[in-house]
Amino acid sequence: MTDIAPSDSIPTRPSTQPTTEPRVPPGQEAEAEPGHPMPGERRHEHLRNYPPVSDWDHHVEYDAKAHPRKVPHSYMLIPTTCFNCESACGLLAYVDKEDLSIKKLEGNPAHPGSRGRNCAKGPATVNQIDDPERILHPLKRVGERGAGQWEQVTWDEALDDIGGRIRRAILEDRHNEVMYHVGRPGEDGFAERFLAAWGVDGHNSHTNVCSSGARLGMTLWGGYDRPSPDHANAKVILLLSSHLETGHYFNPHAQRIMEGKQAGAKLVVVDPRMSNTASHADLWLAPWPGSEAAILLAIASHLLRTRQIDRDYLRRWFNWKVYLAELHPEAPVTFEAFLDRLEADYAGYTPEFAAEEAQVPVERITALSELVAQCDHRLSAHVWRSACAGNEGGWQVARSLWFVLALTGSIGTPGGTSPNGWDKFIPHGPGMPGAHERWNELTWPREYPLSTNEMSILLPHFLADERAKLDVYFSRVFNPVWTFPDGFSWMRALSDETKVGCHVALTPTWSETAEFADYVLPMGHAPERHDTHSYETHAGRWLGFRQPVRRVAMEKLGQAVGDTRDANPGEVWEENEFWFELSWRIDPDGSLGIRQYFESPYRPGEKVTVDEYYRWIFENRVPGLPAKAEAEGLTPLEYMRRYGAVEVGESIYRQDERHVPDDDLVGAEPDPAGSETEGVLRTPTTDESAPPLIGEAGAIGVRHDDGTETAGWLTPSRKLEVYSTSMRDWGWPEHATPGYIRSHVAQREIDLDAGDLVLVPTFRLPTLIHTRSGNAKYLNEISNSHPLWLNSVDARRHGVVTGDLVRLSTAIGYFVVRVWVTEGIRPSVCALSHHMGRWRLHDAEGSRWVSGLVDITHPDGPESFLLRYRGGVKPFTSDDPDSERIWWTDPGVHQNLAFGVQPDPWSGMHCWLQKVRMEKARPNDRYGDVWVDTARSREVYREWLAKTRRTTGPGGMRRPEFLMRPIKPTRGTFRVEP
Amino acid sequence: MRYGFAIDQRTCIGCHACTVACKTEHEVPVGQFRTWVKYVDQGTFPSNTRDFGVMRCNHCTDAPCVRICPTKALFTREDGIVDFDRDRCIGCKSCMQGCPYDAIYIDDDTHTAAKCNFCAHRVDEGLEPACVVVCPTHSIWVGDLSDPNSGIARLVADNPVQVRAPEQGTGPNVFYLGSDRAVLDPVSAPAQGGYIYSTPDPHRAEVAADMPLDPVTQARTTLDTAHPRPWGWRVTTYLWTKALGAGAMLLATLAQLFGIPLGGIGMIVAPALGVAGIAITGALLVWDLKRPERFYYILTKPNPTSWLFWGSVVLGVGAALFGIWLLMGIAVVAGLVAPATMSPWFTGLAIPAFLAAAMVTGYTGFLFNQAEGRDLWQSPLLFWHLVVQAFGVGGGGLLVAALFGDVDETALALLAGALTLGIAVHVVMLVFEYLGQHETRQASTAAHLVTHGRYATTFWFGGIGLAVVAAVLGAIGWAGVLVVGAIGGLLAQAALLFYESVFVRAGQDVPLS
Repeated sequence: MTDIAPSDSIPTRPSTQPTTEPRVPPGQEAEAEPGHPMPGERRHEHLRNYPPVSDWDHHVEYDAKAHPRKVPHSYMLIPTTCFNCESACGLLAYVDKEDLSIKKLEGNPAHPGSRGRNCAKGPATVNQIDDPERILHPLKRVGERGAGQWEQVTWDEALDDIGGRIRRAILEDRHNEVMYHVGRPGEDGFAERFLAAWGVDGHNSHTNVCSSGARLGMTLWGGYDRPSPDHANAKVILLLSSHLETGHYFNPHAQRIMEGKQAGAKLVVVDPRMSNTASHADLWLAPWPGSEAAILLAIASHLLRTRQIDRDYLRRWFNWKVYLAELHPEAPVTFEAFLDRLEADYAGYTPEFAAEEAQVPVERITALSELVAQCDHRLSAHVWRSACAGNEGGWQVARSLWFVLALTGSIGTPGGTSPNGWDKFIPHGPGMPGAHERWNELTWPREYPLSTNEMSILLPHFLADERAKLDVYFSRVFNPVWTFPDGFSWMRALSDETKVGCHVALTPTWSETAEFADYVLPMGHAPERHDTHSYETHAGRWLGFRQPVRRVAMEKLGQAVGDTRDANPGEVWEENEFWFELSWRIDPDGSLGIRQYFESPYRPGEKVTVDEYYRWIFENRVPGLPAKAEAEGLTPLEYMRRYGAVEVGESIYRQDERHVPDDDLVGAEPDPAGSETEGVLRTPTTDESAPPLIGEAGAIGVRHDDGTETAGWLTPSRKLEVYSTSMRDWGWPEHATPGYIRSHVAQREIDLDAGDLVLVPTFRLPTLIHTRSGNAKYLNEISNSHPLWLNSVDARRHGVVTGDLVRLSTAIGYFVVRVWVTEGIRPSVCALSHHMGRWRLHDAEGSRWVSGLVDITHPDGPESFLLRYRGGVKPFTSDDPDSERIWWTDPGVHQNLAFGVQPDPWSGMHCWLQKVRMEKARPNDRYGDVWVDTARSREVYREWLAKTRRTTGPGGMRRPEFLMRPIKPTRGTFRVEP
Repeated sequence: MRYGFAIDQRTCIGCHACTVACKTEHEVPVGQFRTWVKYVDQGTFPSNTRDFGVMRCNHCTDAPCVRICPTKALFTREDGIVDFDRDRCIGCKSCMQGCPYDAIYIDDDTHTAAKCNFCAHRVDEGLEPACVVVCPTHSIWVGDLSDPNSGIARLVADNPVQVRAPEQGTGPNVFYLGSDRAVLDPVSAPAQGGYIYSTPDPHRAEVAADMPLDPVTQARTTLDTAHPRPWGWRVTTYLWTKALGAGAMLLATLAQLFGIPLGGIGMIVAPALGVAGIAITGALLVWDLKRPERFYYILTKPNPTSWLFWGSVVLGVGAALFGIWLLMGIAVVAGLVAPATMSPWFTGLAIPAFLAAAMVTGYTGFLFNQAEGRDLWQSPLLFWHLVVQAFGVGGGGLLVAALFGDVDETALALLAGALTLGIAVHVVMLVFEYLGQHETRQASTAAHLVTHGRYATTFWFGGIGLAVVAAVLGAIGWAGVLVVGAIGGLLAQAALLFYESVFVRAGQDVPLS
């Protein structure tokens, strides 16, 4: 592939001195600084952005507050990884050598994704470390669940109790009663390891309040479930939603979007809201929510009609023969016939149709189509949540977007969009356990065979239906009572000991969910724990290493460290060591076959340490790392402790065309010509075979018509499936091709005159992240109010002005908010940011920086819930004088409580957009009130469940084997018992 | 060497990373900011826009804060960085008035002035400021503007750039690329209608309510930080105490020079008012310091360019001269010295005391003129206006004293005439000042607040109406009805207090960021 890199001489923007330029005169290389050039190193003439690596063990910096007096402090600079969103940007902790305190956190210039830069949430990590309200000791509930009565226990007591319960569950064949429910994973591979070792199908995630829609739409094309746009080299950047200031992966992407834009790329933003991203758009479309697929299909139709398409790419990679066979069996089996039929099939998606659906001027649709048509294989695009996560059928938005990417030949090209799997790298630890043989129907129910991923929003309803119960339930960096829809149902489920035997909350801070736990076990913040992770931030591949920086500093200073608790505040621990220890307690003598996976690869039979675990990975599973380390005289582990990240690949494009290694091809046979999967190269498999995370067991590549053999995609056909046989086979033949499904909040559903509006409850601010930034004072002082965005047209119709209280009624209840009249949102749509509305039931159990004390009562019978603030955010006394300086008062409105579950019948995605009816607040309404009838929420659950088609696929398969599924069981386990 | 910033708003995404990196670098207290991001929304859907502006100290080539700082706590380094030393700061807040950019605050921990100092402690080690390091989109450039080959110099040379408040003539060294006018000019974008994810402080919101929206752009500030008024009732009050004391001494010295017998009023009451006025002024000044225990730094670490320093000198000299006058008066009244013996001494002291009195009341005009951030205070007539006010309230004050003494007609004419004419001229000056043209939009906006906005009632009824009544009563007193004149004298005091409270507040009300 030709690398189409942007011009490096942009006349309007002089580049700073390139980092690769020698910093010493020629001939004096011997004096060059040790280490390697780092991607984030930069200079503005004689000012550099970071001290040289050679100084990182001993960096003297003058006290900022004593300045201009020169008061030196000695620091160790230890890299770690931010945990405040999914981006996993590098951080560099300044650990004071005097008292081992963490003075501040800057970015890590060695990190290939973030390149030494951060958003506001990175440096704010120090607030979380110093938060006077953090939980420092393991706590055990002593009163009723939720009553706020706790006693401090030892880690040993907690481990014995929890380990004993899990052991009993395993011995009694109740594996499915053990569940690990994770919000932000912040790591790759570790949870899979311990769950697989325990043999439980207990992984549950936050995915279906987040990205299930986008995942399904993308997965159906190629198996991979995320985009990896190469923004920096793009000609057209097409963003659905606010990826410049909040999205996955905000800081790494913002850098590259702006680089692309500076190099001449056009930025198109599709968002009903004027986001910061939209403010930078060359073309902003603010469509009626849910109409995005219609817009994208109009682009596709334009491309097909004008034949501005990449024929060669489509001929080679679309499963067009299946398309013809299924939809146009009468047509000749030629590619030209396929194009003609495809054009005809999408001819109905005219600009006028899209404009009508989207309620935007037709000229904008046309302008967008023409812009995309000229992208020259360099269309970088991103959709992750937004429209895909908002609408019933939202997954078709991502699917339509990939249709456009394919038609323009922009998949995997420089400046185009790759699938995430090409730019992500997950190394596993020693002796990875094999596939298990359990199927947990609480997370993978029959009604949702195509769900991506676990049906986590339905857990409380499934428990209420008595489909199953849970014995040990871990919630980890996970706050469903707040973050998920229908929080009162979660509260009911978590309060019921017959449904959830033991709830263990692994969390650094109090949350609405931790309040309903039996154990609250404090785990470290970003610089207090180990993890590895890798994300598709650009057309490269890297592995990041999070580490407890104080522990690393102590070890470098020669101080003995038993485990990370010795370095963390109080008794705060880290999960990895916790899981090692817990697994040993589950299987102390090794008889269950679990312990072996937590033994040292270097000291047989002994418990593995975190050092050994990561040492083994870095020595054995990271290509190139041992050599890079050796070049600097370091061991691989020392290298990662020094730099915190390593680049595993750069300029990665067109991996579909990569050759399958000859060794892998031994014994592989292609599927027969004429079959739907013709040419797919497979090695022999059995029912005991373990399918990969994505893809089918045994499938390794595809033989093309021209005889070439390449890796291809991860779908059953190893092609891009313009016709999805999986959709057909699991009950939805009418959606076997990209299409447009009218949303549950489409125009026709909304009666404006009756007071209806569409509510966007999900948009994020650049400074906050879900419920985890409440303990960061420097973020709260910037973002601390929660107004309802309302266009002036709607405000006039409703007779309200900024500051007025209104009541928004949903299908299951209502809430009371304050109006902000703005032009920053399209008419007929209102929006309330996702972050605020934090509350606590008991004064010291919840962040007082951000939450209000509430009462939860049942004013209209036991099924009714009313949450009402007793007070707002107020100053409080603590070790930090800043807590007395809190000037903001608004805790916000916990809108999610009033949303019933609305699982998309295909992807399982919770459809976040709400049809609401707005009225002026009633006399007894108070700001922040949330009222819900949980009987109604049960009805809504049943209404949406009824939209599904409970089915199995060919051979009684519960779901397509290739679809991504954490902790995939053996192939045989996919089959429903006869 | 001239360090500066170039902020590229074409690529800034309004993410606040710079804000937080700065806060963690300097451990800035909650509620205070050395750099921050402002949002401005404009237009009507779908033709609406949002723009960002990164606000901070401009490291001015001709920095008003450095000039006005009485103790050199703020200083310009060789490399152009405007730096500060908290160990020298007395917390007088004059720098906050001098700065046309709202860049300075009084740190809640140290109670001393603070602002962006370019991370000078990092620059000294060859490191970029924290905000530059963190910025995701590399929108903040740093470097030597005097080196034409530096990246920043080329960026500024090759692109259209803007600076904030160029009309202030401070020579800002923060250059903006691709910034919207309404972001850089706070008068163009009032904080009307609330913020996007915070709330305007009540003061900002109240002021914004009196500011007109641009009819074309409809620009509104939709996110910003709070900048409380640095000076309040103490400054208002000392403007009056100084005027009263100095005015009394102006009249006593004039009477002495023109041979108008004021008796005890001239020898005792006037100097006592003068001394008390200065003493109370001094007390209020020290009380208003955020580090009052450091008040003497003004004299031990003086900055000769600061009118706060010279004001202190003036107050000291005035107190000394008025004190001597008072002692001489006491000596005469107590019969220790014969009046005739003392008379040449009074006459000899009269001219220096007269000048001192004029300066005691009037130096504040020069100080306020040095407050470059407050356009309302920039009137070149401010010195004279303060002198005129002093005559008015000094005459009024002494008229009240005359009720209890024995004054002849010429003395009554002097005092009542001073009251009448002083207050009348004051009113005329106000009318011209507030209803006339203003040189800057900031000044006209402040004047609008006074005449038509939140202060209109206080201004028209208290500041003008009461003054007119006082002048009329003064005229009746002049005609011989002492009691009426004395009542006018009392009202004049209230009228001046009303007006000064408006003048001091309105001057600081218009947002600078």
